[in-house]
Amino acid sequence: MNISSSRPLLAPAGHYLLRLGGYSLLLHRRSMIVALFLSLLLVAVTTWILAAGDDTLTPSKALQAAFGQGEALQVFLIQELRLPRLIAGLLSGAALGAAGCLLQTLARNRLATPGVIGIDNGATAFAVASIVAVPTSLAPSALALSGAATAAVLTFALAAGGGARGYRFIVVGIAIGALFGALTNLMLARSDMDAANAAYPWTVGSLNARPADSVLLLGIGLAVGLPLAKLLVNALSLMRFSDNVAIGLGVHLQRMRLLTLALCVWLTALAVAVVGPVGLIALAAPEMARHLGNRHGVPVLNAALSGALMMILADWLGRTLLAPIEIPVGIIAAVVGGPYLLWILLRQAPRSST
Amino acid sequence: MLAARLSVPQALSYAALCLLLLCVASLLLGAGDIGILPSLQALLGGSDDDARFIVFELRWVRTELALLVGLALGAAGVLLQAVTRNPLAEPGLLGVSAGASFAVVLAINLGASAASMHLGVAMLGALVGCVLVLLVTRMRGVGDDPVRLVLAGAAFSGILGALSSLLLLWDQRTADEMRFWVIGALAGRPLDTLDWSLPGLIGGLLVALLVVHPLAALALGERVASGLGHHPQLTRLGTLLAVAILVGTATAAAGPIAFIGLIVPYIARRLVGSDIRRTLGLSMLLGPCVLLLADVISRLLVRPYELPVGVVTAFVGAPILIAVVRNHRLPTL
Repeated sequence: MNISSSRPLLAPAGHYLLRLGGYSLLLHRRSMIVALFLSLLLVAVTTWILAAGDDTLTPSKALQAAFGQGEALQVFLIQELRLPRLIAGLLSGAALGAAGCLLQTLARNRLATPGVIGIDNGATAFAVASIVAVPTSLAPSALALSGAATAAVLTFALAAGGGARGYRFIVVGIAIGALFGALTNLMLARSDMDAANAAYPWTVGSLNARPADSVLLLGIGLAVGLPLAKLLVNALSLMRFSDNVAIGLGVHLQRMRLLTLALCVWLTALAVAVVGPVGLIALAAPEMARHLGNRHGVPVLNAALSGALMMILADWLGRTLLAPIEIPVGIIAAVVGGPYLLWILLRQAPRSST
Repeated sequence: MLAARLSVPQALSYAALCLLLLCVASLLLGAGDIGILPSLQALLGGSDDDARFIVFELRWVRTELALLVGLALGAAGVLLQAVTRNPLAEPGLLGVSAGASFAVVLAINLGASAASMHLGVAMLGALVGCVLVLLVTRMRGVGDDPVRLVLAGAAFSGILGALSSLLLLWDQRTADEMRFWVIGALAGRPLDTLDWSLPGLIGGLLVALLVVHPLAALALGERVASGLGHHPQLTRLGTLLAVAILVGTATAAAGPIAFIGLIVPYIARRLVGSDIRRTLGLSMLLGPCVLLLADVISRLLVRPYELPVGVVTAFVGAPILIAVVRNHRLPTL
């Protein structure tokens, strides 16, 4: 039976229903508007950051230079110096925002972000190990991935019984994070000066001179991960209810949890391999997306857009605030995001601890 | 409630024996190339000058410092857990140590350098940290939720840590002096550290002695405590003052060392039950024990290098933190 797409009655209030052949897509109207708004903002901010700097260009010149047009010096400046850093920031911010959104939904807690439950520290510890022990160029990304997976599995396994939600899960994550942080310090303390200096950028989040292959890998990871995240969204939004309701609605809970967690680890690890631990982006970006758009949905894409926006803005702030000293983006994120974390924490209504 | 497994005198004597053995171990073992035997000879009055210098100048001071800092942190942990009625409350986790070390970093950044001033600054920072913790516990809903308080403390410590790094970037000149305050270690402290931190420790313990009985009464509930003639508000303030002095002293002497205040009361409660008067007494012995053990391990783990002792305490403390959280019925205090 063929139902024409012009029947508005089929779509719930506030949604658009798109139909193409046998496939249909339900779009939340406000979320779409927000996504559009965020994309435009992102383009504007990106152009502006490209143009601004020690050697200020007009936005149109900067855009031209980005595509290889204009003076050779300007093209070099934009293509070789400013653009790679900006791309690294955009991709890692998007990955962290999406990962945070997935994990928050999975744990049903706004504080459960990869940074808070120790995934960042796990990835960092293993990435540092790769510098100190096996200095090959691709190793940091691969090892960051295994470190993040190790931390996530440990946290989930040790919090078992309390389930994947609530504060107990988060405190177990904090403990795991402390362990991996200590491990990182241990390795930095025993390695020689050169190796320790090479590993240092991984311990504070920074976008300075990121390795190109890690950025490429992150790009691929995002290209695979974001559509997958979008696919998981429908089931995830059902999992916001109690387990029984979700099962009743036909969600395969165990498989869904595993898939979401794996995706979250994948995105976080690749982002950490590029920027190091800038965990608070993962906390604030989904929050911003929810605030702007649909409060009841799972705004993965909007969270990714917000994350990208926050990351490049924080990096820009870090570069200009105390120039010529460059503040790593991780410190900016902690100073700005930390009070925000406290605010969320203390504002929330009381609930039980298990 | 956990049942007491040992009588108090038994527990105290075991702890004292442990402490004695660990002190000897701390004097005999180290990262350097002085073996155990020369160290032992030096300790017994041998005439090898190198060994004598290492044992009596370096390790002796370090051991004394560990005793002092461990005692202060152990006692502060018990007091803070009692006053917040929260088995996870720990000066390092709740941001009290972070407050103290940030205050010192700020003071150094603003030009201060006198060692004796660090003590006052660190205490002030710890006090501000304490007051913030108290304010948070007074907030609706948060005070009853042990885990959320820890999370708030972690966030608070994170902010202060980032601000300290910021100051460090700002002023490369004093970066070396500051690095110590950000990590926390017992090695290489100036000799006069002991002179000025001992009065701090004694002062803190005196205040602690004043509040320990009212605090035990407060454990029965605010009304009962008032009925027994205590002033709950005054008791809380006194306890926080004691915690601030103790943590401030410990941080000024050794930098921020997390988890000691969590590990020690946890073990003490396991051994003698949760009465504050017993746990406080036992913790004063166990605190130095745990810190000495961690310090000896930190010297031996990556020879010929040494680890900051905070790394070792994290390896011991994190599993205990998980154990406390996993324990379904969080013990009420």
